[in-house]
Amino acid sequence: MALQVYSGSLLKEGLVAFLCLDDEGISWTTDLNKATAVEDDGLDALKEAAEKSERDNIIIAPYAVEVSRTETGLEPVENRERIRAYGPTIRLPQSAKSAPTSSGSRVAA
Amino acid sequence: MYQYSQADHQLLQERVAQFRDQVQRRLNGDLSEDEFKQQRLRNGLYLQIHAYMLRVAVPYGLMSSEQMRTLAHIARKYDRGYGHFSTRQNIQYNWPKLEDVPQILDDLAKVEMHAIQTSGNCIRNTTSDPLAGVARDEIADPRPYCELIRQWSTFHPEFNFLPRKFKIAVSGAINDRAAVAVHDIGLRLVKNDAGELGLEVYVGGGLGRTPMIGKLIRKFLPTHDMLTYLEAILRVYNQLGRRDNLYKARIKILVHETGEEKFRELVEAEWNEIKKTGLALTDADIEAIQAHFKDPDYETLSDFDEDFDAHLLANAEFAKWAEKNVELHKKDGYRVVYLSLKSRNQPAGDVTADQMDAIADLADKYSLSAIRSTHRQNLVLSDVKLKDLYELWQELKALDLATPNYNHLTDLISCPGMDYCSLATARSIPIAQALTERFDSYDYINDLGDISLNISGCINACGHHHVANIGILGVNKKGVEVYQLTLGGSARDDASIGKIIGPAFTADEIVDAVATVLDVYLDQREDEEEGFLTTYRRIGQEPFKEKLYG
Repeated sequence: MALQVYSGSLLKEGLVAFLCLDDEGISWTTDLNKATAVEDDGLDALKEAAEKSERDNIIIAPYAVEVSRTETGLEPVENRERIRAYGPTIRLPQSAKSAPTSSGSRVAA
Repeated sequence: MYQYSQADHQLLQERVAQFRDQVQRRLNGDLSEDEFKQQRLRNGLYLQIHAYMLRVAVPYGLMSSEQMRTLAHIARKYDRGYGHFSTRQNIQYNWPKLEDVPQILDDLAKVEMHAIQTSGNCIRNTTSDPLAGVARDEIADPRPYCELIRQWSTFHPEFNFLPRKFKIAVSGAINDRAAVAVHDIGLRLVKNDAGELGLEVYVGGGLGRTPMIGKLIRKFLPTHDMLTYLEAILRVYNQLGRRDNLYKARIKILVHETGEEKFRELVEAEWNEIKKTGLALTDADIEAIQAHFKDPDYETLSDFDEDFDAHLLANAEFAKWAEKNVELHKKDGYRVVYLSLKSRNQPAGDVTADQMDAIADLADKYSLSAIRSTHRQNLVLSDVKLKDLYELWQELKALDLATPNYNHLTDLISCPGMDYCSLATARSIPIAQALTERFDSYDYINDLGDISLNISGCINACGHHHVANIGILGVNKKGVEVYQLTLGGSARDDASIGKIIGPAFTADEIVDAVATVLDVYLDQREDEEEGFLTTYRRIGQEPFKEKLYG
């Protein structure tokens, strides 16, 4: 059974976001560790919620991302998804503002 | 530089208003993403790995200091404090919010800039020689011809949905500094035996997964016929180019599959139908545009400056920079200065907002308020007085823009790679930074001489790896980033496509592999005058293969 989250790009900001599906309903966060991670059998509910957010113009092109649970939290399996989740792997120009994923802001859907 | 007419201003204002409405309709849900995508791409707005990316056109790489300040303002206010100069001499912002983009375009329009046709299957920003108008080896200034192409191609209704994107470069010098051979159309200004100015027309060059060198389909085209001939080429391509296969849609494939001779016949036949139309340029048309690019009032100066020479003798660091990053100017007493965007401290082509503002100030102070971008991701101050070089160098050094490496190993081209780009299959910037750190020795890169090292993070080859003396292509092999080496490419007059040397290297191995290639070159060259490409072409791949793979 693969652990998965749902991810897409926020329409307004373009930032990478992850789906939260809990008692408060559907929302999106830029912090992977706040995402709802499910095994395969829980994926349909995430898919349905993500597609609703797409129809509601919150998120663009959502899709499932395979993750693993580590000591520090959720970790995407694919390298490309790790970069999406945590930002560029390089030294940014010296005066560049901080990476967006540090905020972990939650967007209501 | 070209100054917008009232009609130009109105056109941009209308375009901004149109896009503002499109964005609002998208945010309201009146447009779907599929519907909106075509609109945003027509305005240079992509959706990349982390965020939207806005590509702003810098026509033929020429900017005023006022425009540079606006680029800094955009980086600071709407982005994360930096921008990235690309190989099409444009600037890209990696983090704009969709809702801010109409205002960004409005800010750009105020300084006669835009993002139109920097994406999509249309005619893109025309690129040119960064030394246009000041080069000692220039036959004619290419900028008026670039501007004519810009005006002709902007919103050209017939060519707004081509089979694929379309890139044109124009060079007016004896030495090609615009990589004309690897463009869909490359134009070189030449003179015939009668001394008349005309164009060599190359078609079907390009990089990507099927790299090709452009074919010379016309040896001499009168400049008055430039637009009619371009129109003929584009018409043939628009009608016959493949739309069934994305990977075979560029004009290079059409030229290759049709055959050079047959393609030429098709273009000439089309041209004969349209060459007498109103698109034919008159002397007045050309002169009206040339008037925008007249020489400034250069002072009459000596090409010798006692203080400059004294500084060269007294300060070795300055002397190194002056040797590497300063070039002769067509006017005595002036020099062209390359601002290296290839320091150890930031990705190739990246410039912070603070640096942009400072560069604008330097342009005002030392170089007639103009800045140029180059296809090798550097900037140029084109009209600096010899007597000002030492002072300018001190200021550039403080800004980390004085790395003495122009056209040397660490002046490498790097695409954004998988750190930013949604098409990339591997990261390129970390490899570029590792190479820059490894070879951070003036004496070493000076010994290597003029050499090009380019890196792409996928087969689309935005890092121009095919035409580097040493090229690196990052690919994904079973989930692992690996890097292929190509040797022997060139983007200059002796343009050639590099050849893959053998199996790919891991990220941990690739820097050592480049070092090995350089060792072989240093060992095998006949003398210090023999450049890398000459040695490679003389000895072939085998000595390199032997050392790399044993």
